[in-house]
Amino acid sequence: MIYVKDLSKSFGDNQVISHIDAHIEPGEKVVIVGPSGSGKSTFLRCLNLLEQPDGGTITFDGEEITGPSVDINKVRRHMGMVFQHFNLFANLTVKKNIMLAPVQLKLMSKAEAEEEAMRLLRLVNLEDKADVYPIQLSGGQKQRIAIVRSLAMNPKVMLFDEPTSALDPEMVGEVLELMKQLARDGMTMVVVTHEMGFAREVGTRVIFMDEGVIKEENTPREFFENPRDPRLKDFLSKIL
Amino acid sequence: MEAWWEGVQKGFYQTFILKDNYMYFLKGIRITLLVTVLALILGVILGVLVAVVRSAHDQQPEKKRGLLLRVIDGICKFYLTVVRGTPMMVQLLIMWFVIWPALFPGSVRATDGNLIRCAVLAFGINSGAYVAEIVRSGIMSIDKGQMEAGRSLGLNYVSTMRYIIIPQAFKNVLPALGNELITLLKETSIVTVIGLKDLTKGAMIIQANTYQALVPFLAIAVMYLALVMLLSWLLGKMERRLRQSDIR
Repeated sequence: MIYVKDLSKSFGDNQVISHIDAHIEPGEKVVIVGPSGSGKSTFLRCLNLLEQPDGGTITFDGEEITGPSVDINKVRRHMGMVFQHFNLFANLTVKKNIMLAPVQLKLMSKAEAEEEAMRLLRLVNLEDKADVYPIQLSGGQKQRIAIVRSLAMNPKVMLFDEPTSALDPEMVGEVLELMKQLARDGMTMVVVTHEMGFAREVGTRVIFMDEGVIKEENTPREFFENPRDPRLKDFLSKIL
Repeated sequence: MEAWWEGVQKGFYQTFILKDNYMYFLKGIRITLLVTVLALILGVILGVLVAVVRSAHDQQPEKKRGLLLRVIDGICKFYLTVVRGTPMMVQLLIMWFVIWPALFPGSVRATDGNLIRCAVLAFGINSGAYVAEIVRSGIMSIDKGQMEAGRSLGLNYVSTMRYIIIPQAFKNVLPALGNELITLLKETSIVTVIGLKDLTKGAMIIQANTYQALVPFLAIAVMYLALVMLLSWLLGKMERRLRQSDIR
């Protein structure tokens, strides 16, 4: 579904990603872990071109999205993205947050979008928050709404950029639960996270990134029980 | 003391009642407000456009800036420099005596209509430059995650600006915009130099006719103050309404 070939990205003199190859199959739940500064977030953000790669190609659904004359806005409709800091639109109510993109992109009528928004809100048990502004919500509520806002676009793949890192510990569970439910429903997911429990339980493949390269990738069981890369062993010993 | 008081009373009579002189003030207020409001509307439209261009240019990484964007940004910067770097009165004189006759050779007679249209254009262009920088500071103040979230959903730059960034920026800069509106209202008094009969000109005409200075000029000072207070009150109401999304 997503083919990444020889991907590189630097910020100034700082090479954040160097020559990464990766492949994400439909239905996979790929979890990316690694120390901070390892380039994992940048890698994820390159997948929907929130960061413009310096070199290499990304092919999504048979289309080379790094090529010239690609309508990136069309591509992004099919790739949902969830951010560490939720990024709900502060000037819109919860319901309008969900409705905005489908209505503006003329994928749904206002009435359809409203119905869909309410259906999604019921899914996360937040239908009573439909008409409040994001500032009135807890972090966990914000993130669950950010997730269903992406779902309203019916994406083929969902990218999660440290979705629980900015949450109070007691709110992490509700967000992970929703992500697990998505995984069970067959969504293709790429998740950058520090939640090793989630990686082990939900991931179909775990990738370890360090210094801008993929140092190891494996099934969760092998990844956690038989790590080979010395840096990974060191990393796991510190966090487990 | 008594003589002074009699003088004030006489001044009052000559300023307001004699020959229906109060009409100068009523008509003057109407023209002052008309020029202010229309110039503000023009200024906000111009200002938002320039601010969006300027921030689009500054937010793009250098190698992704198209030639068109660079050229338009250059024009905007030139506009900001010239307008903010020259006195409003000079701009008004140039507009009325140089640019206006060149643009509209059929409308050079100094009728109220022509003068108002010309003044609105001059003040709108002037105000646009200040509004542009105010709005740009508002756009810069919005967390870049808001833009990223919009773009990640497939909305393009302009839609995200229009529905997400500008509304939030506008709310943040409303106090500064209010300031601009107040400045604009007071600055319109210099339309007297092209002969438009605004509130200030009205007082000057009365002074010329009656040799009274104290009452007419104090009167318009009070009127300007009242107008400014009225505008501040309206802006405060608007700000509270826009703050709805900030109430926890």
